[in-house]
Amino acid sequence: MTELTLKINGEDVTANVEPRLSLADFIRDHRRLTGTHLGCEHGVCGACTVLMNGEPIRSCITFAVVADGTEITTIEGFDDDEPMAQMRQAFHENHALQCGYCTPGMLVAARDIVTRLPDADEARVRLELAGNLCRCTGYVGIVNAILEVLEKRRS
Amino acid sequence: MADGGTGHGIGARVLRKEDWRFLNGVGRYVADIARPRLLEAAIVRSPVAHGRNLKVTVPEGADYPVFTADDLAAAGVKPIHVVSKYPGHQAADYPHLATGKLRFVGESVAVCLAETRAGAEDLAAQTGVEFDPLPPVIDMIAAVEDTAAKIHDNWDDNVILDSLFEANAEGMAGAAISVTRTFRMNRQAVNPLEGAAVLAEWDARDGRLVVHSSSQIPHVLKNALCECLGLRQNQVHVIAPDVGGGFGYKCVLLPEEIFIPWVAMQVKRPVRWIQDRREHLIAAANAREHHYSVTLHANPDGSFIGIEADIIVDSGAYSVYPHSNILESTMAGRTLHGPYKLSAYSVRSRAVATNKPPIVPYRGVARPGICFAMELAIDAMARELGREPFDLRMQNLVPPESMPYSTITGGQFDSGDYPEALRRAMALIDVPAIRARQQQVEADGRLIGIGFGCYIEMTALQTSAAARAGLAAIPGYEQAHVRLTPDGGLEIGVGVQNHGQGMETTLAQVACEKFGLDIDLVAIRHGDTATSPYSTGTYASRSMVMAGGAIARTCDVLGGHIRRIGAHLLQCAFDDTRIENAAVVGPSGEVSFAEIARVWHRNPEELPADVDPAGVEVTSGFRPSPDNSPFSYATHAAVVAVDPDLGHVEILDYVICEDCGTIVNPMIVDGQIVGGLLQGVGTALFEESRYDDQGQPLSSTFADYTMPGPTHLPMVRLDHLVTPSPLTEFGVKGLGEGGAIPPPAAIANAVNDALRGMGVELSETPISPRRVLAGIAAAR
Repeated sequence: MTELTLKINGEDVTANVEPRLSLADFIRDHRRLTGTHLGCEHGVCGACTVLMNGEPIRSCITFAVVADGTEITTIEGFDDDEPMAQMRQAFHENHALQCGYCTPGMLVAARDIVTRLPDADEARVRLELAGNLCRCTGYVGIVNAILEVLEKRRS
Repeated sequence: MADGGTGHGIGARVLRKEDWRFLNGVGRYVADIARPRLLEAAIVRSPVAHGRNLKVTVPEGADYPVFTADDLAAAGVKPIHVVSKYPGHQAADYPHLATGKLRFVGESVAVCLAETRAGAEDLAAQTGVEFDPLPPVIDMIAAVEDTAAKIHDNWDDNVILDSLFEANAEGMAGAAISVTRTFRMNRQAVNPLEGAAVLAEWDARDGRLVVHSSSQIPHVLKNALCECLGLRQNQVHVIAPDVGGGFGYKCVLLPEEIFIPWVAMQVKRPVRWIQDRREHLIAAANAREHHYSVTLHANPDGSFIGIEADIIVDSGAYSVYPHSNILESTMAGRTLHGPYKLSAYSVRSRAVATNKPPIVPYRGVARPGICFAMELAIDAMARELGREPFDLRMQNLVPPESMPYSTITGGQFDSGDYPEALRRAMALIDVPAIRARQQQVEADGRLIGIGFGCYIEMTALQTSAAARAGLAAIPGYEQAHVRLTPDGGLEIGVGVQNHGQGMETTLAQVACEKFGLDIDLVAIRHGDTATSPYSTGTYASRSMVMAGGAIARTCDVLGGHIRRIGAHLLQCAFDDTRIENAAVVGPSGEVSFAEIARVWHRNPEELPADVDPAGVEVTSGFRPSPDNSPFSYATHAAVVAVDPDLGHVEILDYVICEDCGTIVNPMIVDGQIVGGLLQGVGTALFEESRYDDQGQPLSSTFADYTMPGPTHLPMVRLDHLVTPSPLTEFGVKGLGEGGAIPPPAAIANAVNDALRGMGVELSETPISPRRVLAGIAAAR
């Protein structure tokens, strides 16, 4: 067991974990924050995307012990975040979700795009999204939602 | 609109009621549910495609027992056994855990338990699986040869069902034009982003088994649990919470849905099994895989006479509950005609067993395959005749004046204007501009092509047709339960299962349409066998037609009850009342639903003498009469650029003109179409569950199995025809599957159009760079 100290959604957390435990399993099963989803567990689908020190990572292929000393933000941790509020509303209005399973990871990735790349066009948005799979929507609503938030933030 | 101006009735672009929980990370999928003393399960799976004399060695000293087929047999657990009423259907037991023989890589062999999944996987790794290997049967064509090993020892051969669909076959003799081709659509995994998931516990207080499963068919799963485990219906409670996509994969019973609950009963603790992606890609590579030899016959003027075909569907090792393993082969055989007029038909269709996972009805069910075969054959004929492919289609589509149209195989198209869908798709994609562009040389050396795909989809399969076809599972009437709540809102129970389609919104819109209620006052309850009416579940693009119809009919009955109370309160005759804006309106005033609900629930002393004691909650139902199915249809058109050096195919433009009858919610209709389309793009260009010659899966990660992503399709353009079905409430037709049906056909036709000058004709999905380059090399 390895001791681990980190911040999750602003809360200080200390735990003893197996070295092989993934950050995703730690977040979901140990901290019971189940908004972070597991879609492939090998780092392709992006459903498990969370922020580590403000940058998106795949929590399924990140060991929990690697997160020692970091700040993690999960989908449950964006209540007072303006870009996320804009993104949630845009997802709702653009039908950017169906079954909802990819949505938390998709939102974290989408929020990262609009905050990091304010001038992104459609092609760039699609390229940046390529690390997140959605099986339901054909991505149309998702891309439209991101473009809408980009436009809103530019004006 | 009759929704009283709330803007929430049929046709309104209502934003989804279910979105909030998903956007905020508080959806609840099976894996999100915790239980005290929960044990996690890992499954030992077959490492080979074919073997016998299976011996499982359980590791010693484990904290929890490991369960095998012997344990299930000793307890009298019955295997899955599904045989259709189709004459000649060979069916075998589908053991929950492999028994004696191993029949595909990934078949469940043993269950290991531990406090964590990792611990359970440790135990699984220590469990020994011994067997004598047998030659595997991997290719469906080889499977029917006499020399092939037999999947089931007591069968004569590997043919599950050999069926012939024939009408006026002699009419094709001496046809002036005959075009023969072979086509193959390869195997896929359905890949909902949430895989299968089961959480089971025995509730000792109530004496019942409680099973959470990511299922499209909770009531049918309950039947299966009762049948296999020997429990009474009142001893089983199935809950399907939020379901992270299904697409047909979750409308069949998985062995895990039986043996995980049984194991939970043995250890007297909650047990959870969450399928991981690798398990899905290996054990659930179970969709599509059709082979066609097709000859299309026509007169010299291009009018079709008929079609001859030999179809083989690789149906895997077992027959699944409840739909069996002949759904694809018989549907393919019966409806290869698509939306075209034919006067002769001779189609043999065989479902064959192989050492692969058992086939399930993935979105589109057989029709992506038959559309691919028919539409590519039409393009081949157009090339032979020197005709434009759209022109040849236009000549042969069933025209609107022939509706309702009886097909050569006994089906009936209810309504629609098939040629108009093609005309509009042609206009949108701008055929002359593409043809002009093809005359120019592209700066990047790529070749441009345009392709079409037309289809019909029989939606909301009905009782008579299913019974006539001898299907194993036959749907009947659909029910809804509607309650006027004490505050004047509605709670509506349905047995169909929302798994992303937005039914918590669209089904509520039906009640809004009937009563003029605000949609915030309408709640749809589903996914729980204890609180919803019995239903065969969500599949066959049936839920909006059937559950929507049931809600409409039930609201009509409930409306009568509400009006009777309203008439009493308004001191007027029943016949002088009507319902508007969630109120009963009479000649001299109105009384709100909230007021009527107050009287019924809290002040019954104010009720009239002739009130119906059934009150303000009603269960009623719907089925079309006659019970024919509404047919949706569309034309898809694609423009592609093919790189002849790299074999890469890019979709430059894509348009769809479709008709799903009356549109309930245009936003959700578009979402279903585009979502289906991208799955069809996956079939066309990327997705393939490949095997080596020993039946070892070669596509067991998302690195080896390419899923369509956000860069694979440009913004598509949709156009809608609206021909209300005469058969259904509001004229709706099913919609959920259609988007996935023609993309392989339209895209392949576009690729072949692009490569026409090189003499290349591709005939197999997915059209990978390797296949494009091989086609070009072969033509040189």
